[in-house]
Parts: sequence; C-alpha cells; structure tokens
Amino acid sequence: MHISLKREIKRSHFGQAGLALLALVVIAAAIAPLLTAYDPDQQTAASLLAPSADHWLGTNHVGQDIWSQLLYGARTSLAVGFGVGILGLILSIIFGVSSALIGGIYDQIIMRIVDALIVIPMIIMVILVAAYIRPDLFILILLLAALSWQGGARVIRAQALSLKESGHIGAARAMGAGRFYVARRHIVPDLGPILLVEFIYGVRRAVFIQAGLAFLGIGDPMLVSWGTMMRDAMSFSYLNVWQWWLIPAGVALSLTIIGLTFVSHAAESVLDPRLRGEAVA
Amino acid sequence: MLEIRDLRVSYGTDNILTGVDLEIGAGETLAIIGESGAGKTTLGLSIMRLAEASVRGEIIFQGRNLLALTEPEMRAIRWDAIAMVFQNVNNVLNPVHNVLEQVAEPMVAHRRLGKAASREKAGELLARFGLPRGRFRAYPHELSGGEQQRVLLAMSLANDPDLLILDEPLSSLDVTTREELGKLLKQIDGHSARLVISHDLDTAARLAGRLAVLYGGRIVETGPTTEVLENPRHPYTRALVRAYPNMTTVKDLQGIKGRMTRPVSGCAFHPRCTQAIARCKTEIPPLVTTDNRAVACHRGGIVTLLSTENLGRSFGSLRAVDGVNLSVAHGETLALVGQSGSGKTTLAKTIMGLHQPSAGTVYLEGKKVTARKKTFYRRVQMVFQNPGESLSHRLSVLELVTEPLDIQRVGSKAERKAKAIQTIGEVELPQDEHFLDTYPHHLSGGELQRVAIARALVLDPDLLIADEPTAFLDASIGAKILKLLLNLQEHRGLSLLYITHDIAAARKVSDRIAVMLDGKIVEAGPSSRIVAAPEHDYTRRLLASASSLH
Repeated sequence: MHISLKREIKRSHFGQAGLALLALVVIAAAIAPLLTAYDPDQQTAASLLAPSADHWLGTNHVGQDIWSQLLYGARTSLAVGFGVGILGLILSIIFGVSSALIGGIYDQIIMRIVDALIVIPMIIMVILVAAYIRPDLFILILLLAALSWQGGARVIRAQALSLKESGHIGAARAMGAGRFYVARRHIVPDLGPILLVEFIYGVRRAVFIQAGLAFLGIGDPMLVSWGTMMRDAMSFSYLNVWQWWLIPAGVALSLTIIGLTFVSHAAESVLDPRLRGEAVA
Repeated sequence: MLEIRDLRVSYGTDNILTGVDLEIGAGETLAIIGESGAGKTTLGLSIMRLAEASVRGEIIFQGRNLLALTEPEMRAIRWDAIAMVFQNVNNVLNPVHNVLEQVAEPMVAHRRLGKAASREKAGELLARFGLPRGRFRAYPHELSGGEQQRVLLAMSLANDPDLLILDEPLSSLDVTTREELGKLLKQIDGHSARLVISHDLDTAARLAGRLAVLYGGRIVETGPTTEVLENPRHPYTRALVRAYPNMTTVKDLQGIKGRMTRPVSGCAFHPRCTQAIARCKTEIPPLVTTDNRAVACHRGGIVTLLSTENLGRSFGSLRAVDGVNLSVAHGETLALVGQSGSGKTTLAKTIMGLHQPSAGTVYLEGKKVTARKKTFYRRVQMVFQNPGESLSHRLSVLELVTEPLDIQRVGSKAERKAKAIQTIGEVELPQDEHFLDTYPHHLSGGELQRVAIARALVLDPDLLIADEPTAFLDASIGAKILKLLLNLQEHRGLSLLYITHDIAAARKVSDRIAVMLDGKIVEAGPSSRIVAAPEHDYTRRLLASASSLH
C-alpha cells in the first residue's frame, strides 16, 4: 500500500496545528532581522526597561532588547534541534541498518553499545560532558547527536530485520545486489515514515535539552537562547520583569515543543492506523 | 556393408551435403532423420548414383567405391544389389504397364529369373505386401496411394537387394496402413541392410535400430533409436523430438527457433542453437563417438547448466532440504513437484544463495559455485512465489524491470531503458509510457507476474527458477504464463526449474519431473515416465489427487 505521509499529516487536526506552530517559529527565526531593529547582543538602552513602542518586550539586565533575543533564540533552538535531529537520524540509520543487514558479531557489538547508551540517562551524560568541554553551538550539536542515536537505531534495526525478509529485498539480492545497494535503494526508503517520526523525536529532544543546558548555565553563555533568557530572568524574579522576560521565552519554547509533538503524533498515526481515531475522518 | 566417407554433394553452388560419414552393417536398419531440405533424399540418390549433382567423397559398398564405378558397372548394381523406394509414389510407376509386370521387371532386366518365374515371384511379393490377388493386373492409376506403396515395396525387394534405401516409405500413408506396412517391412527381413530416410520420427522408431540425425548437410547425432529419442544429446535432435506430436511425450509441443539456412559457416545449426558459443560460428564440429552414441557439437551436446550435489539446508533440527541431487540441462524444463512444506522453495532459495547451504555444492556448467557473485545472478534468475510481494511498491514498472540492469551496471542509462522496454514487450505487456509509469498496486495478478518475469529475464539469464509462477492466478491467466515461459524457452533456450505442487501442470511444461518429499527427492525422471509409470508411493498419491476433468 502506498501511504502518503504528507497527506496523512495534513489531514489530522493535530498535524495541522503542529505544522502551523512550527511554521510560525521557523518563519520568525528566518526573518528575525526584519521583525526587529536591534541586534540581540547589543546593549541598546538602559537595563530592565518595561515594554514600550521602542522595545516591545522591554530590555534585560544588560540593556539588550528582549524581543530581539526571543526571535534570535528561535534560531538557536531550531539549529540545535534540526542539526541534532538530522545527525542523530543519520547515525541511527547507519548503525540500525548495518546491524540488521550484517548481523553476527557486528550486530551484537552495536546492540550492546545501544543497550549501554539507553541505560545511562542521557541528560546526566550531557550535563557532565558539557560542563567539562563548554561546547559552542557546533560542538553541542555533535555532542547531542552522538548521544541520541541509540533509541532510533534499535527501532530501525528491528524494522530493517523484518524488511530484510520481505520479497522485494530477496528479489534484489537475487539480482546480485550488495548490502549497500539494498540498504540505499530499498530499506531506507521503506523505512520512510519511521525515519520521520524518529527525526521529529530527535528534534524535540534536542530543543528541550539545549534549553535545559542553557537554563542550567552549562554551555556557551554568549549564545542567545531561550534557556539562557529564562535563567537570566529567574535572577530577577523579585521584579515584575518576568512578565515580559521569563514568560515569552517559556511560551516560545513550549509552543515549539508542542508543535513538534503534534506533528510526530500525526506522523505516528500514519504508521499505525489504529491510532487514527476520530480526528482523522 | 555400406560405408560412406566424407560425402559432399552440391548442385551448382548449393552445397547440399557437406561431409557425411555413415556406416551400415549387414542386416542393420539405419534411419536418417531431418527436416525437409536437410539433404536426406540427396543422400539416398547419391548412393544410387542418381543424383544429378557433383558428388565427392567415398561410398564403399561391399568393398567397392560406388563413386569410382563406370555407369555400366553401376547399372549392374542398381536395382539389383541396391534398391530404392522413392518418395512421391505417384510419379514413379510406369502408367502403361500393369503392376505385376513392373514388379517382375527388375528380375528380368538383371536376368535373374525367366519371365514366368519372375511373374510368379512378383505375385508372391505383392501378396506378402498385402495387395489382393485381383489387383495384380491393375494399372497404377487404378490403385490408391497405399496400394501403390505396396507395389513399390514389393518391387524393391524383387532382386533380394543387399542394401535397400527407403525414402519416406510410410510418410504419405494413413496411420493404420502405416502400422501394417511397418510391421510387414520388419517381418520381411532377410539379410538386407536398410537405410530409411524420413522426416518422421515415428517411421524411424518403427523401422530402424539406429538413428542418424542429418542437419545442414552433416550428421549431427547417431545412436540406437530408442536411446536417441529418449535422451537426445544434440540440441537439434531434442528440438525435433519436442516438435513431434506423439503419444509418449507429455510436454506441450515446441517448435525450433528460426529456420534452416544455407550456407552457414561453422556448425550448421549454430544460428538456431541456443547454447552456441563463438567457436560454433567458425569451426565445424566433428562427430565424436562415446560408447555407442555420437554427437557433433563443440559443447559435447546439450550442456548441463546447473546441478546440485548432496545439497542440504537445515533450520535447527529441521532438514528442510536434505541431500538433493538435481541437474538442469540447457533449454530443459525440470519440474520440482511436491506438497507445500516439502522444501521446494527452500531448495530454490538455497540455489539462489538467499539461504546458505548447510551441506553440499551447487555447480554451474560444471564449475563449483562458491561465493555468489554478480556474474552468477546474470546467469541464474528467479521468479518468486508472490509477485505482489517481490515487487517493491515504490517502483514503477519501468524502474522495476530496469533494476537488475542497474545493479549489474549493464550499459548506459538509455541502453538499460531500451533493454527493459524490449523485455517488457517480450512478456507481452504494453510498452507505452503510461504503462511503464504504473505502480504495482495498479496491476492485475497476471500483469504483476509478467512484470516479475520480465525483471528476471532482463539480464538474459540461462536458467530461470520459477517458484509457483501461477499459484496466485486463475487458470486462464496461469495457462498464458506457462505458455509464455515455454515460448521463451523455445526462443532463448531458457532452462527452467519450475516449482509447483501441481503435477498436472508440471507434465505439460516439463521434460523431466523431480518429486520432492520432506526435503528429499524421492523420484526423478522423464515426465512421460513419471506420469505413466510412477515408482514411488508418494508420486502415485500426487497423480491420484491431481486435477482431472472426468
């Protein structure tokens, strides 16, 4: 059966809402310079100003424009989210598919590594490692990707194992196809929907962890991000600046994660039609 | 008795016989068979020195080279020591003499007997060949074709010839007369050596102990008649047998691809041969004798394409395939018959390398197959049981059929496309853009199976393993698919390993049947033998439960 992923996601109300939220965040990040006159790093005015016509959300403790920080913070979240999502997915595919196709001792080794990575809580690992190496944005993406492929690899391996026994893959092997060809031309395309779901999981997790790390003050303090904003705002919780400083950052982060969750929920229902329920008529 | 060495006969520039070697012993009957135009009659006429052609070589009869004799010397032998019954009875008898006189004439002419005695003997001969006494004085035009043939046969034996040449002696007769005259000819034996010339395998089988197959002016195979017909070694002989309607073979009739052309360099049969190699085009193969059979083929006759030796595949303690010995010859269909769970598919997949064998070896043209490289899959392809499953739903018809070429990196992109489209046409599917862009879930079961077959054939394999190719199809579509496979076999010389649970279908398409039960081959042999005289209980059960319309 042909399943059109695009159509399924668009059909679902969750999917529509999620896509709308994501679109909002992506557009805001993309056209940030058009939406604000200020550089988020620049000290533009007095600190801790209340919202005004000049500074829609006021300024922070060092006089930076909070609206600008909110917009540019979206860039950081999305960069980390999608960067880790893609890299993590690539690692998952490489290890998952190769384990399934090669099998034997190689499979055993990879799967034991996966088990180990799953057992050790990822957040703690990330906090420990990040606290030591103080990663910049690029290193952070690599670090998160390196620690977040194991779940996907296991799911992909399981699916690839069952695909491996399917008729058209046997047929391809009977034409003389090598493992790499089978993986590239048949298994990965057949995994399509699963890969999408795994990818969105990865993005969501990365957005969340990046915000958490920034909130904890681990990582690059110069990087404009929602987590940093919330951390800074928390120090001034005795003032009423939280209304235009803490809440917008928290809401932006929540909406992004909710958007991703909705899309992944819709995509999952594609994989398992029993989850479709009434929402998908 | 008669020995022919390197006989070459040509009419002008047309070389009819291009080097025939033959031997006939006393009392032996040798049949020469071949298609019309193969040069059979010319051979007979050359022995009689009646061919109006340039004849070279040696025809040694009772120690004398007939070709070196003068015409008067030859005339003494002709119709005396050597007699011939011509093809085309209508023109042979003299219309102004009655038949008794005509039968007596050779005896008188060679001064063997007086007039009265010769007439008496002629009457005796005519009576032995079943001509009613009242018809002796009849003129040829008053006789039927069968009666004329009786007269000619009687006439040929008038002088007790040492060598009798019978050119299509039974061909123009109806079956019952043919049966009667065939028997008479065998009874009236005597010491004469006989050379039967016929395109008709039945005549040869009835009259001759040995058979020589003539093609393109040369003998391509000789041997004892029953052995040659049962187990032909030359591809041409097999093709002749397959084309011949008879009550023994159960497989559907198959023609021979192309037609006989002259002149041909190298082996005369190579343009029509499906196992020809480069050498066949340039070098004429000599007739090589092994045991009592001889075959003229650079490849030593029909090649054994694939064989397995003691092949086994176990899953844990289950022996799905257990010590299987099979062989598939070039251009042959071997049906593997057995109930589901007997290990047929596992055997096929093990041959294909989709399962690792637990024991035994697979040989491809006698060479051991170890690691299955791309080259193996170029020669051996498989059509899987369920076409819907074996075709990826994400690829269009054209992409599906092109895929093997992509994998094998054959030619350029445009060449691959052209080849794929050509193969799609070969399996009788439409070749228009619309169809080529169709995805499998929009195709019918029959179309899917054809796409699967096209995909398997696009690499021009020598062996096609077809696993229950009709299991998912209704009878009419299934019949068309089987017919298609047989046609492909005729045109490409495709070998088929046809896997089925249906022995009724197997007998129509296979040359040989192997019956499989619990991972073992319990019985194997020619389809006709397996169907008519099964030896194993399980085969009998299969036959008893096979579909029947009565």
